[in-house]
Amino acid sequence: MLLDLLQNTIDGIAAGASYALLAVGFTLIFGVLRRVNLSYGPAIMFGCYAATWLHLNFQSGLMVLGLAAVAGAVLAGAYVERLCFAPHRAGSAIAAMVASFALWMQFEELATLVLPRHVYPFPTLHEGPPLEFFGLTLRIDAIAVLGAAALICALLHGLLHRTRFGLAVRATIENPVAASLAGIDPARVFVLVFALASAIGGIAGFLIVATHGQVTPMLGMWSTLKGLLAMMLGGLGSLPGAIVGGLALGLIEAHSQWFLGPQLRDLVAYLLLFALLAANPAWMTRWTTSRSAS
Amino acid sequence: MDDFTLGLLTNIGLFSFLALSAYLLLLAGEMSFGQQAFFGVGAYAGGVLTALYGVPLPLAALAAMGLGALAAFLVGLPTLRLKGLYFAMATLAAAEIARLLFELLHFQRDIDGELAGPDGTQGFRGIRWIFEHGIEALDFLLLTYGLLALVLAALLLAERSRLGATLRSVGEDPELAAALGVDVDRFKLGVAATAGALAALGGVLFAHHNTFIEPRNFDIMLGVHSLAYALIGGLGTALGPLLGVALDLGLLEGSRIFGGTRMIVFGGLVALLLAVRPRGLLDEKLVHRIASRALQR
Repeated sequence: MLLDLLQNTIDGIAAGASYALLAVGFTLIFGVLRRVNLSYGPAIMFGCYAATWLHLNFQSGLMVLGLAAVAGAVLAGAYVERLCFAPHRAGSAIAAMVASFALWMQFEELATLVLPRHVYPFPTLHEGPPLEFFGLTLRIDAIAVLGAAALICALLHGLLHRTRFGLAVRATIENPVAASLAGIDPARVFVLVFALASAIGGIAGFLIVATHGQVTPMLGMWSTLKGLLAMMLGGLGSLPGAIVGGLALGLIEAHSQWFLGPQLRDLVAYLLLFALLAANPAWMTRWTTSRSAS
Repeated sequence: MDDFTLGLLTNIGLFSFLALSAYLLLLAGEMSFGQQAFFGVGAYAGGVLTALYGVPLPLAALAAMGLGALAAFLVGLPTLRLKGLYFAMATLAAAEIARLLFELLHFQRDIDGELAGPDGTQGFRGIRWIFEHGIEALDFLLLTYGLLALVLAALLLAERSRLGATLRSVGEDPELAAALGVDVDRFKLGVAATAGALAALGGVLFAHHNTFIEPRNFDIMLGVHSLAYALIGGLGTALGPLLGVALDLGLLEGSRIFGGTRMIVFGGLVALLLAVRPRGLLDEKLVHRIASRALQR
C-alpha cells in the first residue's frame, strides 16, 4: 500500500514535470499579454508533427527531432502572435482568444493533411528497462524529463532575474505603462516572450511525445487543456505557481487514477479546479486584485 | 429540398440556440467556455424523457429547458462573481465535469424488447420520437426555425427595451450599473439561467434530429465554437450569432470547393476578420448605423 502510494507519487511527479513546462509557457504569455492563447497547444503539435515528419522521412536522430520540434513551435507561435495577438494588443481579449482558436483549427487540419493516419510512432528517449529499487520502478526517460524541466526552470529564472531582457519582461508584467515610460518597448517584449514561451512549449511537447512514443492530432487540445489546468491550479500568473500547479496536476492524476480508476481521473482534476475557483481563495486571485485578468 | 440541404439548414437552426446562449453571456460581460454543458443536459434530459418514458416532445423540451436553466443557475451561483479568465475556466471545468458525468451515466430500460437509454461512452441511441410521430424532416426544420423565430423576436424586443439597455450596461461597466441601482449579481444569474435554458432547447432539438448522442458531442470544441459563432457574427444584434453559425456551417459544409483545406481557409479568414472587426461583422456601430438610416427613411 505504502509502496503503491510512493510509486504513484513518483509517476505523478514525472508526468507533472511536463505539465509544469506547459504551464510555464502559458503563464509567460498570459503574464505579459494578459491574453489566453488557445493555439498554444496546437503550435506545439505543429512542432511535434514537423519532428515526426523528419523522423518518418529521414530517420533523423533525437537531437535533430528535438530541435525541429522547438523550431516548428516557435515558427507556429510567431504566426499566431502576428495574426491573433498583435492586432488586439490594446483591444478585445475575447477577440484575440477566438482568433487563436481559429488558428487552432488550421493547425489541426494541416497536421492531418501532412500525416493523415491517427497515430504515428515517435522514437522514445530511452529503450532499456526501467530502474528498480526497493520494489519501486523509475523510468529512465522520466528522469530525463524531470532533469530537463528543472534545467529549463533554472535557466528561465536566471534569464528573468539576471539579464536586462529579464528585467524588461518583469517590468512589463508588473506595469506595462510604467515599463514603456522607462524606455522599454512593450511590442518587442511581447514578441520575444511569445517566442520564448513557444520554445519552452516545443521542448515540453518533444519530451511528452518522446515519453509517450507516439503523436496523435489530439496533442494540440491535450496540451492546451493540461497547460491551462496546471496554470489555473497554480494560481494564474506566477511562474513558481505554474511549476507547483503542473506537479500538483500530475500527482492528482496519478493518485486518482490508482484509487478511483482512469474514468474518474480527469473528473477529479476538474472538480478540484471548480471547487478552488468557487471557493475563490485569495491566493488564486491575488493577481487580479492589482490588474484585471480579462 | 434534398436531405443534405434539409439536414444542414436544421443544424444551422439548432446550433443557433447555443450561439445565442453564448451571445447573451458575452453581452453581460462574461465569457463562458461551458455553454455546451447545458446543450448536453438538454439533449440527454429531452432524450431520456421522450425515448424512455414516452413523454411528448413539447413537454420534454420544457422540462429540459427548466433543467438547463437550473444547471446554469447552480454553476453561475458560485462562479459569476469571478472575473474574466477565472469565470471562463470555472465554466470550462463545469462543462468537462458534465461531459465526464455523461460518460459515467448508464441508465437503460427495456423498450419494446430493446435496451434503450444512455450507455456511458457508447452514447445514447434511439431517440426516435419525431419518427414515431410521423414528423417529416421538413416539418422538423420548420419547427426548429419557428422556435428560433420566437426566441429571436423575444430577444430583439428585449434589446430595444430597458432590459436590453440594462444587459449592455452590466456588460460594459458593472460598477456603473450597480451605482444606477441594478443588482448586478442577480441580473447576471438571470442571464445565465436564460442562456442555460436556450442552450438546453438547442440540445433537445439536436438529440431528436440526430437520434443518437454521445458524451463527446459536448466537448470543449463545441463550447469554443459557440463563442466563435457569437463573435464572428457580431455582438451588435441577436441576428449576429445566427450569421456566425450560418457562415461556419453553411459556407464550410455547404461548399466543397476547398476540399480538405477548408478549415485552413476558414480559420485564417476568421482570424483576419477579427483583426479588422474585433466585435464581429454585425457589431454595435454597424447595427446602429443601419438602424438610424432605416429611421430616416
